[in-house]
Amino acid sequence: MTLAARDITKRFGGLTALSQVSLELKPGEVHGLIGPNGSGKTTLLNLLSGYYRPDGGKIAIDETDISSATVQRRANLGIARTFQKPRLLPTLSVLDNAMLGGWRDARAGFLATAFSLPQVKADERELRSRAGELLHGVGLSHAIGRRANLLEHAEQRFLEIARGLAQRPRFILLDEPAGGLTAAEIEHLGAVIRVMRESGVGVLLVEHHTDFVFRISDRVTTLDVGSVIKHGTPDEVRRDPEVIRVYLGA
Amino acid sequence: MFVALITGLATGALYAAAALTYNVMYSTSKVLSVTTGHISMLGGIFGAWFISTLGWPIPIALLGSMVVGAAFGLLTDLIAIRRVLARSDEHLWLLSTLALATMVQQAAGLWWGTEPKPFPRLIPQDFSAGLGDQKYWLPIAIAILLAVALEVFYRRTLYGKLFVAMSEDAFAARARGIPTGRIRSMSYVMAGAMGGLAGFAAGQLTFAYFALGLTLTLNGFIALAVGGLGSNLGALVGGAALGILSAVATYFVGGEYQQTISVGLLMIVLLLKPAGLFGSQSVRPV
Amino acid sequence: MKLSNRSMAILIVMAALIALPWWAGDLYKLHLAALICAYWVLIGGLNLVVGYSGQLSIGHVGLLAIGAYCFAILAGTHGVHPGLAIAASGALCALCGLLLGLPSLRLPGFYFAMATLAFALIVTEITLAQGNLTGGGVGLSVPGFPPPFDTPRGTYWLILAIAALVTWLTWNVARHTWGRGLVAVRDSAVTAQAVGVPVFRAKLTVFVFSGFTAGIAGALFAVLQSYITPDTFVFELGLFFFVCIIIGGRGHILGPAIGTIVLTALPEMVAPLAKLGNFFYGLLLLAVVLLVPEGIGRVFELLVERFRPRRSESHVVKPDLERLAKAIQAGKSR
Repeated sequence: MTLAARDITKRFGGLTALSQVSLELKPGEVHGLIGPNGSGKTTLLNLLSGYYRPDGGKIAIDETDISSATVQRRANLGIARTFQKPRLLPTLSVLDNAMLGGWRDARAGFLATAFSLPQVKADERELRSRAGELLHGVGLSHAIGRRANLLEHAEQRFLEIARGLAQRPRFILLDEPAGGLTAAEIEHLGAVIRVMRESGVGVLLVEHHTDFVFRISDRVTTLDVGSVIKHGTPDEVRRDPEVIRVYLGA
Repeated sequence: MFVALITGLATGALYAAAALTYNVMYSTSKVLSVTTGHISMLGGIFGAWFISTLGWPIPIALLGSMVVGAAFGLLTDLIAIRRVLARSDEHLWLLSTLALATMVQQAAGLWWGTEPKPFPRLIPQDFSAGLGDQKYWLPIAIAILLAVALEVFYRRTLYGKLFVAMSEDAFAARARGIPTGRIRSMSYVMAGAMGGLAGFAAGQLTFAYFALGLTLTLNGFIALAVGGLGSNLGALVGGAALGILSAVATYFVGGEYQQTISVGLLMIVLLLKPAGLFGSQSVRPV
Repeated sequence: MKLSNRSMAILIVMAALIALPWWAGDLYKLHLAALICAYWVLIGGLNLVVGYSGQLSIGHVGLLAIGAYCFAILAGTHGVHPGLAIAASGALCALCGLLLGLPSLRLPGFYFAMATLAFALIVTEITLAQGNLTGGGVGLSVPGFPPPFDTPRGTYWLILAIAALVTWLTWNVARHTWGRGLVAVRDSAVTAQAVGVPVFRAKLTVFVFSGFTAGIAGALFAVLQSYITPDTFVFELGLFFFVCIIIGGRGHILGPAIGTIVLTALPEMVAPLAKLGNFFYGLLLLAVVLLVPEGIGRVFELLVERFRPRRSESHVVKPDLERLAKAIQAGKSR
């Protein structure tokens, strides 16, 4: 089971944002994706989760081509993601936000829901307990009943992760999850990511905190101006002269 | 047939003028204001009141209508746009302009009455002029004049260029020190004066009628969407197409299905070319 | 059996509403109550569209008109059983909702609002044009309900029952997964997609449902009016429905319900407001948009929060890794 981008090219008008980029994400690994601003990290993430269509190359889960699948379809195939700027539903409670992640498991249709059939109630109970456990797990037990707009930045980040995990994903794509976190919170984040890895979830980590990425990733891919300049273990990437030149600095 | 056609063209010209009014406000604020048609409604009603009741000379009354329109434009910006744009919710401006439009329409109805009242002759002309009657030619002339004047304004004047800069990238414009708030107010005042002028010029065609605003808001928008949001040429072509189509339809099917037909036109254009005939922007950012 | 406070409150309100014919005083007030309930049948459905999925439909009066004419033509002109005619009104309007929603729900906000406005005007145009079906400008008289619903009380109880049913249905939708999905469609379509909500289909589903309730409401409304003309269904009525929801607060059910009651009853009780009519609604809408964009319902919520004992609120994130691992594993083995 592998989520893979193969020779992906993406253009916006005359600008080539990504050119011939390949990347593989396996279950149970943390894959770091680093690179300077504008190198195409978020673009690649948007291509993987389906918000953009590639102009060349393909995106596949194993051998199944999903290049033209909608975002919803990919969510149902087990790809979850978080956003650079957390996108929560401000008027709903923290628990409801996490439960939103369970949409694909709520099999009841609109009419069944309207008449509150037993199946709906059973789904609801299951979702509620799942979301509750995940919220305790990521460290939001103090905020379960709170409205999401009352959360502080770090709490929002962890809530997005809980929502993603409530989707029971095979792969989770994290877009700069450490952005704006304190050192202690980054440690918590690292612990949470390790648990996801040990539980067999494939984690794609797009991040600027390179120390954090090198510490936690199994493999790292470095992008610059839309191309992969180095791919390998954290140690290999850290020592690569090209990576040092364009990104890490001397 | 010719009478139907010229009536259609004149009505279409009024729709085109409303579409131009939309464009001016949209350029600086990215807001499609529900009050657009109501500006022209005020222009028509106040024009009739200035001339028939107060006995003002026609040029002064024309100026008065434009001032009323401009004042209402400024009011729209102050009440319904300024505070709402500061928030991020994209639906709020639709609600606030809708609320203002409803209030103005009802106030006009209470003050002016709900019956359409005739609009006085502006140029001495015999009523037997037929196709050459001023009630047809005035709106057409004004719509073309407004479109040409706008193009000149955008291309030749400093403020026009500021409008264009804001319409392309308001954020960058602010970063470069352009007083975006003031420019937006100016554009609303300008749009108000244009709408007032158009309502005044089309008064003999539409009568001074309080409920004109909503129809004009809708049909002006259809002309705009058909022609392409942001394009002044598109506004003219969209208005003309709408006018001619409803004239032809009136001639062959009868006048009962005007609205149905104009919406049909809109749907066909949006299906074939979502950005409108002359539109460059995609429809999405709205 | 111990009842929660909420169930108690609901029981008391229901009992008071059922007993209304005895304490309302006169027949006019009873008629007004029935009218509010009929409006609510429409507004309750529309609430899922406007308040939950965030689609600003200002032209639902068109659907109300179709429902009303459908009932009047079937039950009046053709003598179909009124119960059947009501169902037919609902079905026809659900179909109209589907036909209107299919092209227009893909459009951005302002385009959609204009499409619904155009729809309302088109319906008026067609009712005027199809004179031999609708009576044109002259209108149609509408038959009442058969016994036991033919008295003012019976009519009121029937409409109240339907309104209660609609409330229950929308409440069920709102509080389950569907409700969260709709709010996601409203507040962040990107998030909705990311968790797998089919955005367009969700919008269309609730829009069709709102068409159905609008059709039922149209039939009930027609009976209460007993005579309908195109002037009964002015565009401003559609605006009124819309304003009730926005003022009551998006994402709530109780707020819009109170909005409906107050906005219907107030102009009847306070004569000067009736004269101002839509000006008053416009002013209210403007005030709400500028001062409390989340609606009056939110003001009450904030007040309640105010008086609740405040605990010192922690914001510290402390993951429980064992629990997290178990929770993820539980999801895998499902």
